[in-house]
Amino acid sequence: MTDLVKENKLLDAVSQAFKIKGKVIRNRRVEVYADKNMVSSILLFAKKQLGYIHMAHMTCVDWIDQGEFELVYTIYSPIEKITLFVKTRIDRENPEMENIDSIWDQANTYEREMREMFGIEFPGLVGEHDFILEDWDQIPPMRKEFDTHKYSAETFFSRPGREDAKEVRDELSKRSGTIVPDFAKKYSRE
Amino acid sequence: MVREKETTLYLGPQHPGITGNMMVKLKVQGDTVVSASTHVGYLHRAFEKLIERRNWIQAFTLLCRFCVPEPDPMELTYARAVEDLDNREVPERAKYIRVIVMELARMQSFMLWYAGQAGSAGLYMIPQWSVGDRNYILDLFEDLTGGRIYHMYIWPGGVRRDIPEGWADKTLRTMDYIEKRLDEYNKVLFDNTIFQKRAQGVGIVPKDKAIEWGVVGPVLRGTGIKSDVRIDEPYEVYDKIDFDIPTQEGGDIWARALVRKEEIRQSIRIIRQAITHMPGGAYYNKVSNPMKWTVPAGQAWARTESVRGEIGFHVTSDGGNKPYRVHVKGAAYTHGVTVLEKILPGQNIADVSFILNSLGVCPPEIER
Repeated sequence: MTDLVKENKLLDAVSQAFKIKGKVIRNRRVEVYADKNMVSSILLFAKKQLGYIHMAHMTCVDWIDQGEFELVYTIYSPIEKITLFVKTRIDRENPEMENIDSIWDQANTYEREMREMFGIEFPGLVGEHDFILEDWDQIPPMRKEFDTHKYSAETFFSRPGREDAKEVRDELSKRSGTIVPDFAKKYSRE
Repeated sequence: MVREKETTLYLGPQHPGITGNMMVKLKVQGDTVVSASTHVGYLHRAFEKLIERRNWIQAFTLLCRFCVPEPDPMELTYARAVEDLDNREVPERAKYIRVIVMELARMQSFMLWYAGQAGSAGLYMIPQWSVGDRNYILDLFEDLTGGRIYHMYIWPGGVRRDIPEGWADKTLRTMDYIEKRLDEYNKVLFDNTIFQKRAQGVGIVPKDKAIEWGVVGPVLRGTGIKSDVRIDEPYEVYDKIDFDIPTQEGGDIWARALVRKEEIRQSIRIIRQAITHMPGGAYYNKVSNPMKWTVPAGQAWARTESVRGEIGFHVTSDGGNKPYRVHVKGAAYTHGVTVLEKILPGQNIADVSFILNSLGVCPPEIER
């Protein structure tokens, strides 16, 4: 069992520099919680001063019951071989977050996707609004309140007479001489 | 001097040189690329959203489809993230089986890379060979899992089935065959002047910018930086296996090809060791009832080394029987967008497909 010396040293360095809280999750994993206005400063500090030069990931979690989006920045040091998570929460109403693509260029792709999928605005973000979706006029689809069932029921339709594939099952029953059950109904998640 | 007019060229989404369903919009002057931008959205299947409506185990049927050429690292990375949240132990035998599966997945994906890289240089014999040889690896997968491409074999807590009788010997025989074939690939591809001239000095990723740009895997190792998740943060039993991480200097297509050429040999080496040292015992720490299984609340980040580089899964649980949020990051997310847009300007149009293949861009990883 390692005694997590490097991890605690990293946590101390970040938490003391910015007066923020955090914890060592396990070996090679450290997380800190920051106010949204401090995130870019922490990331820049970690990159320039501590050697966390690889931005491994950036994600958003929609905590709809708490009315917040959680943004998680995952950065990695190839020297220390430790992953640092910088976590922040922003309001779900008119969500806005600092644009960090001046620190890591590839953040631009993540931010464009979050703008499209969660509706988070990143002031100064360059790039076409349509990244993955095209002419999307509904609520951002990765938000928890977006109902995929309702959307597909309203948008798509079955060919008349084929809603339950009955004629296919009848034909198969005729050929095989056995009754083919309605598997879609039998194993439905509803 | 004639001033050439700038025109726009759309490479893809229907184009034999594109690596999947994506489009690269090129601004060109004559034969030279002035600027490039990646457009995706032709393959968006909303897997991450759909997974939120399925239980922890049902998610496997979707997430293996994140990347067709190499589905297994997706299964393993997700399974490891869930195991991390659930504190679930994996039996030693399952760890060895997982390593074998991962390396077989790398090898069959390398075979596809041979096909794409050689095909985009106009060397059409190699794709016929390598896709044919890949089938021998897919045969092994079929014997092991029942599926050739998508396996859904690695589950939280281990693997679904033990290896069948005679499978280990068959795998070793296949490794002997492929190892012999690699010498022939070298003759037709790496010793080929056309390939050498097309690959050398083209599509250079600068060493000093590589990590900052989010470059990972063989592309990063092609710049001379020794980085591999299997060594940096060993998972399963990679720390008990002896293998090398090949690197090359230069950062061009040639360097990346040489790295891959050596990596496939290392995969064979790993598989042989894993089969030799694999212990007996359990292969699955069973989940009681997969349909009702809940995972403790929390967040986990797991990463593994795929053939294209680091794959990461950020998994969030709210304590329920379904994942609250699953976000995958594949190598193509950076390679196919920002890295590609940075290295294409100044290149010849004919080299664009060649560069795309060497970066290992898999569009479904970008839009998922």
